Amino acid sequence: MTPENGGFMVAAYVVAAVILTGYTVSLVIRIRRERRR
Amino acid sequence: MTLRDRATRIARAGTVVTAVALLGVAGVYVRALAFTPVEVAQGEAQKIFYIHVPAAWAGLMAFFITGLLSILYLWLKDQRIDIAAAASAEVGVAFSVVILTTGPIWGKPIWGAWWTWDARLTFTLFTFLLFVGYLVLRGVLTDPGIRGRFSAVIGIMALVLVPFVHLTVYLFRTQHPAPIVLKPSRPSLPSEMLITLLTSVGVFTVLYVGFLMLRYALGLLREAREQELANDS
Repeated sequence: MTPENGGFMVAAYVVAAVILTGYTVSLVIRIRRERRR
Repeated sequence: MTLRDRATRIARAGTVVTAVALLGVAGVYVRALAFTPVEVAQGEAQKIFYIHVPAAWAGLMAFFITGLLSILYLWLKDQRIDIAAAASAEVGVAFSVVILTTGPIWGKPIWGAWWTWDARLTFTLFTFLLFVGYLVLRGVLTDPGIRGRFSAVIGIMALVLVPFVHLTVYLFRTQHPAPIVLKPSRPSLPSEMLITLLTSVGVFTVLYVGFLMLRYALGLLREAREQELANDS
């Protein structure tokens, strides 16, 4: 019988999306800040 | 063209590549979650595989490239190579955070534990910590020459560690599954799952390139500011 563990899958995909988006935003902000200096 | 202009141009190109890659990641999410079959034994948690493995690929590739650039830096002593090595290291750390968070989320329903001190997991954590140390070291060293040399030594040491991380599943008795694509024999995965995985690996590789360009541009902008300050004083 296939186990019901979809919640873990959703959590992993959300966490990965948050990390990748967060890192992108951090790069964009740091570049903008550095350009203004 | 000034260093600042070159950095701005690379940042613009990097933004486009990153945006395309992030759209690709969204596409991978749709394909993996809606159009790829559920593995019977592990259930839906197995689909974590389609982000965990590509993140591991991108992270280890980033660290491997840092090592190669570190060798090049010690040979050519070009500041831009040191900036590129540091950029790749930081991007590798970002991908490692994805590996080290999605791994335990996958491990809990399958192994019954968030974490085990298994060889693959432990060496992945050590590599991550080594590069966090690399970035901290760069942050405290102000002399560009010393900063470049010291971090290049760590980068080269880590270059040895990267293939070892891949081989841990063969060298030790480990809970972590052995590679199912990067192995001497044919990939042991149904074609629908294999296509999703390979698409994701391709998209994460493009994302690595986009992140690298942005982070390299940031390094060049910092370098330009340091040069301007030196010229003013």
